[in-house]
Amino acid sequence: MIASAAIRRQGLRLAALACVVALVLSVLLPGDRYLVRIFTLVGVNLIMVTGLSLLFGYAGQISMGHAAFFGLGAYTSGVLTKGGMPWVLALGAGVAVAAVVGLLLAMPSLRLKGHYLAMATLGFGEIVLFVFGEFESVTGGSNGLRQIPAAQVGSYAFDTPVAKYLLIWSVAFLVLIMASNLVRKRPGRALRAIHGSERGAQACGIDTRRVKVQVFTLSAALAGLAGVLYAHYVGFISPSTFSVSLSLVLVTMVALGGMGSLPGAVIGTVLLTLLPYADAILPGLSRETVAFLQDWETDIHGMVLILVMLFMPHGLAGLVRSIGTRLFAKRVRPALSRAGDTR
Amino acid sequence: MTMLSVRGITRRFGGLVAVSDVSFDVYEGTILAIIGPNGAGKSTAFNLLTGFDRPDAGTVEFEGLPLRGLKPHRITRRGIARTFQDAQLFDEMSVLDNVLVGTHVWTKTGFLGAALHLPGVSREERLAREQALHLLRLVSLEDLADSLAGDVPHGQRRLVEIARALATRPRLLLLDEPAAGLNSAETRQLADTLRRIRDTGVTIVIVEHDMGLVMEISDQVIVLNEGRKIAEGPPRIIQKDPAVIEAYLGGDDADA
Ligand SMILES: Nc1ncnc2c1ncn2[C@@H]1O[C@H](COP(=O)(O)OP(=O)(O)OP(=O)(O)O)[C@@H](O)[C@H]1O
Ligand SMILES: [Mg+2]
Repeated sequence: MIASAAIRRQGLRLAALACVVALVLSVLLPGDRYLVRIFTLVGVNLIMVTGLSLLFGYAGQISMGHAAFFGLGAYTSGVLTKGGMPWVLALGAGVAVAAVVGLLLAMPSLRLKGHYLAMATLGFGEIVLFVFGEFESVTGGSNGLRQIPAAQVGSYAFDTPVAKYLLIWSVAFLVLIMASNLVRKRPGRALRAIHGSERGAQACGIDTRRVKVQVFTLSAALAGLAGVLYAHYVGFISPSTFSVSLSLVLVTMVALGGMGSLPGAVIGTVLLTLLPYADAILPGLSRETVAFLQDWETDIHGMVLILVMLFMPHGLAGLVRSIGTRLFAKRVRPALSRAGDTR
Repeated sequence: MTMLSVRGITRRFGGLVAVSDVSFDVYEGTILAIIGPNGAGKSTAFNLLTGFDRPDAGTVEFEGLPLRGLKPHRITRRGIARTFQDAQLFDEMSVLDNVLVGTHVWTKTGFLGAALHLPGVSREERLAREQALHLLRLVSLEDLADSLAGDVPHGQRRLVEIARALATRPRLLLLDEPAAGLNSAETRQLADTLRRIRDTGVTIVIVEHDMGLVMEISDQVIVLNEGRKIAEGPPRIIQKDPAVIEAYLGGDDADA
């Protein structure tokens, strides 16, 4: 019974993946540049949110400073390629800088819990933002960094919107597949165990501090990776992109989709990334509505976060699950009562 | 043979001495019961043995090596597993996954191995699953394998925790009030299960208020009262010990 459930889950997973691939490719069909641009941003966010989902959704450790790691990846790689470094090396450097800074931040601050961890990471985000703004000679200050070259591997440059789109989504897919492998195996169980009960996890032989530092570093690295891809996609970066409001959106995407659910994180990312560009998907939308969504974007995210925390603690994934459980309730209950009867 | 040797452990909370100069030995292959009224210091003693708390004085040796300063996960890796009085299950995970977390001690797959699905990962996963299912059968919970741990009825939560503790392949198992919340039939079944666990070569220390269970399964009993050890011996003798009767009747907790 359990084996067949596993096969069913595997099948579902493949089907879901095929759907996403088809959707991602179908975005290219109309030849609409605006649409491609928006969905490129979805891909970038997805890489970041996958990392944050492991940290926050699975291990239950919040980071309110993930935009900073995104920025560290973007600036590192932007500055280095402008200085002549090949993109592939700059990519590695961007990821490495984000990971190392993540590790250094994680070691002291993961001793903290809940609000204190949120405050520490928030403060960190502000400091990094300050550095981006003040180190003008390197970062271009508040004017930003301009004319960042497109990603280039060997002699091939990803310099068209479609090439960039495919590059970013290929990476997003790899990241998503690796993350979904990870969460269903031993490391994923360790993350969820830490979320469930730290004492219980320790009693199972898990070095909770070490695992928390590992997953924080991994999620910082993924944000850095997204940052590199973003910088060479847009070609121009400035501090305002990497502000705390982005960090808040990322956390909201994970919470809206559902803690401890990767498909949920994907859906949360798609929904909230598309929100300010709703007109591209729903052509009938009035100009006023779109303007409203754009003007109030941050406030809407805050509201969504509060509403989800109050009324939907398991997010959209939890909603789907509970509907499913209600539909299949007849199958579940006999199993429970049978176990009760045997004693 | 002595497996665990506890010498003079003491733990103070402010002015309160929760555990006061307590010494005892646990012999391999036996079941030792620790009894005593509420607040006697039983759970605190467990915390001192498993690294969740540090003694102010005294030493603990397991298989001849001191446990001083080791963190809880290190002690588990040394071969001591435990359950908690307030079962520390992972409520959002399935019962099977809870038990699988216990296998972390002897499985190896790391972040990279799992993400890249390196060779050997599936084999290890299958092995861990087989072991976890086997342990669920041992505590008669195999039907609940796919249920969410948070949905498991109160009494059965402790059985899940016992299976999870066994999944770490311990040589010494510490159980904090495993019979709490079980009815008498379930308690009898628990006694059977514990004997079966002992027969597989796992030494057991059990904190328990259910005297019937204690009398039935333990080889040795120690009695704590207000942090001190007031008696020690085989269950038949302990039952008649005047100091023990006094401790139970003298306090507010005549129910035990
Ligand atoms: N962290 C703590 N801080 C302060 N006092 C504590 C702490 N932990 C336990 N105590 C106190 O130490 C004493 C012993 O508590 P303990 O939980 O070990 O008792 P117990 O024998 O397990 O009781 P019970 O049968 O109710 O579980 C109690 O008076 C308790 O209030
Ligand atoms: Mg207790």
